[in-house]
Amino acid sequence: MLLPPGPGFAAVGAEFIRGVAAATGIAPRLGDRLALIAEEVLAASPPSAGQVSLALRDRRHALRLELGFATADVDLAGLDQARRQDGEDTADVGLYLAARLADRLTTEPGVQGGLLLGFDLARAYPARVAEAPPQALGPVHGVPLEPDDATLALLVDWAEASGAGGPVFRTAARVLDQRAAGELAALVALDARRRPLGGLFWQPFGRRLMALSGPALLLPEGAGRAALATGLLDAALGRLARGSIQGLVVLEAAPDMPAEAFEVVGHLPDAAGGQHPVLFRALEEDPGGIAWVPAALRPWVTEQVRRLGLGRDIEEPPPPARATGAAMAAETDRAAGRVTLRPLLAAADAAAVAAGNVALFRGQGFSQFRAVLDLGRPEHAAFAEGLVQAGLAPAALIPDAAGDLLLLAATGTSR
Amino acid sequence: MSGFALERLVPAHVRAFEAYVPSPPDDVLRRRFGVAHLHRLNNNENPLGPPAASRAVMARWEVGQAAQYPQGDGWHLRRAIAGRFGLDAEQVILGNGANEVIAFVIKAFCEQGDNIVTADRTFAVYEWLASFSGVTPRLVPLRADGFDDAALLRAIDARTRVVFLCNPNNPTGSWWDHAKLARFLDAVAGRAIVVVDEAYAEYAEEPGFPDSFALMARHPNLVVYRTFSKMWGLAGLRIGWMAAAPAVAATVRKTSISYSVNLLALDAAREAVWDEAHIAATRAHVREMRAGLAALAGRLGLGMIGAIGNFAMLRLPIPDTVAHRRLMARGVMARAMTSFRYPGWLRVSFGSAPAMAAFAEALEAVLAEG
Ligand SMILES: Cc1ncc(COP(=O)(O)O)c(C=O)c1O
Repeated sequence: MLLPPGPGFAAVGAEFIRGVAAATGIAPRLGDRLALIAEEVLAASPPSAGQVSLALRDRRHALRLELGFATADVDLAGLDQARRQDGEDTADVGLYLAARLADRLTTEPGVQGGLLLGFDLARAYPARVAEAPPQALGPVHGVPLEPDDATLALLVDWAEASGAGGPVFRTAARVLDQRAAGELAALVALDARRRPLGGLFWQPFGRRLMALSGPALLLPEGAGRAALATGLLDAALGRLARGSIQGLVVLEAAPDMPAEAFEVVGHLPDAAGGQHPVLFRALEEDPGGIAWVPAALRPWVTEQVRRLGLGRDIEEPPPPARATGAAMAAETDRAAGRVTLRPLLAAADAAAVAAGNVALFRGQGFSQFRAVLDLGRPEHAAFAEGLVQAGLAPAALIPDAAGDLLLLAATGTSR
Repeated sequence: MSGFALERLVPAHVRAFEAYVPSPPDDVLRRRFGVAHLHRLNNNENPLGPPAASRAVMARWEVGQAAQYPQGDGWHLRRAIAGRFGLDAEQVILGNGANEVIAFVIKAFCEQGDNIVTADRTFAVYEWLASFSGVTPRLVPLRADGFDDAALLRAIDARTRVVFLCNPNNPTGSWWDHAKLARFLDAVAGRAIVVVDEAYAEYAEEPGFPDSFALMARHPNLVVYRTFSKMWGLAGLRIGWMAAAPAVAATVRKTSISYSVNLLALDAAREAVWDEAHIAATRAHVREMRAGLAALAGRLGLGMIGAIGNFAMLRLPIPDTVAHRRLMARGVMARAMTSFRYPGWLRVSFGSAPAMAAFAEALEAVLAEG
């Protein structure tokens, strides 16, 4: 559905979304939230935005409302949640409200140079007690494979009951939905009776990387657990080789992840006040590349580049061409109290906008902050200074010759 | 501009394919990794370079000839090759590297929805060319680091057009002998074209190594690839070739590209055919370097595989992609094998003695870093 921007058609868009939600059996409460988001965004869209597309997608584990703008040159300032504080423009409040209504807000380039806003509302799964794995599992039989739904569900149930694998290995129904939506891939090792012994999951992380979770191992201590973990990882590497994926990132390693197959590319603070290593495994040779590094971060990045043996031309980025209107995208995880910021549109006011974002979310009670800068994109550098001022510190450098990812992090208590 | 919607014009199998990005030139690599010199042990090149006669023809080459097109299908070179192997010149087709000949064969025999059968851990170009041509690569796992004949046979179905064997296999150096290849061809029984990529055949000293040209008489579906890039030290000129039974060659000729091999390559390759002294010297060098690498592997406690070819693989205790970077930073290029589905392995070409010494020293230092 395409609608002109501005308040005139906002109610039409809202009714459309409400209607689609009702027709597809979405609970009225969720339908109303989605409709309200559509209304707010349309109302706040400036006339220059051109036709706005509306689409409702069932991601199974989440409902996603997508609003597409034909041009990326929309003044997105209003979308930036931090601007709410200025209270300068009532239209901005609309976008701000819309962002607040979603569990997750993402912004990404549209297919033809435009801009796509995605608002996700997570589906609720009924709580249930997972069944415990049987005692006499194993030994491993054959190579790890992509499990059918029943086997995957069993793996997650058993992992949940035995506390294995970490948070991604919880709620079987959700994991199945994530996989069906193409947002999660799984490999599972089986025994001769085709019962799951362990599994490894991966999910998209940026354009060229995958975030790896697990392994969840169901074999008892000893009993070939290490070989099982290595077998799963090697199988995953084999699956992903010769494709578009450049590397695997492990943000929170399960204890059984074979550490020798990875390198430590940094450390992330955790909620408990400690920190844990960020692991990385490249799939392709790194032929070197350019890293656009802001002055404030140059010493840290240079040291990491040297430590990791990366071939990088470290360049000083040019200042952004736009004077004002910088914006960041925020991805919120309310349950974890975490917000992840990414540059959306660079301008000379990027540092202030970045600092403003952190302050806003801190004010709303978020305690964990992350920011991801793509060092392959010179315009991202403009945000660094503001993030550092706001208390974020460089935490990890995830190598990618086409654009290293610099992960900055802070916890609420670090400042 | 207005009506141009790129997406609509790009076939799905092209859209889904990720472009291969070659490594930047050495000068850029040297600058990025901060080294004065880079030893190339990553492309299985011959450190001895081209044979003497090829060098001589290049040295005398009259540069004004660059203005002229070469003869369109390598008339003289095809006759020289055919004479050497007891073939008819019409059975030989040249290409801009063996890589181009892989494309000729896929174009000649496959249409969208067909499949090719090959191994999961072998030279990548068969798989890639098939994928971006809308042809499904059916990848059969290696067995004990070698092509698995029984599993390959099982993978052949009604839509299989070409089976690609790499003998000896890049990167494992494993190989089938004459009897095994003959048995395999018997079992395929003409259901598909069987390509045997013998890019490294000239390195084989083993008496049982297949005489594929002889098998061609009995098996008209057999296609053999060779290249001037490896033994013959002409990788930079890009020239390779294939031979097949006359009817198959006539079919592939339709999809081959005339004039795609340049003048200098044709002249240099023609002089190389078939310099036995160059082969002997290269083999002697490879034997020596292989022994040296085996000693290094033994000293460092690393597994090593590779029987035939100017390369071998080492099993590392650290990720191969990390070792690759750290070796680069020490001026040595070797091949990280994760992309060949051998995570944790490094492939090393048998380069010059100084390059191998530099590799040994760099690897020892990298592994000492942990
Ligand atoms: C098995 C195999 N086939 C073909 C080739 C490509 O040869 P060319 O340089 O003739 O294109 C190579 C090069 O690495 C190879 O290893």
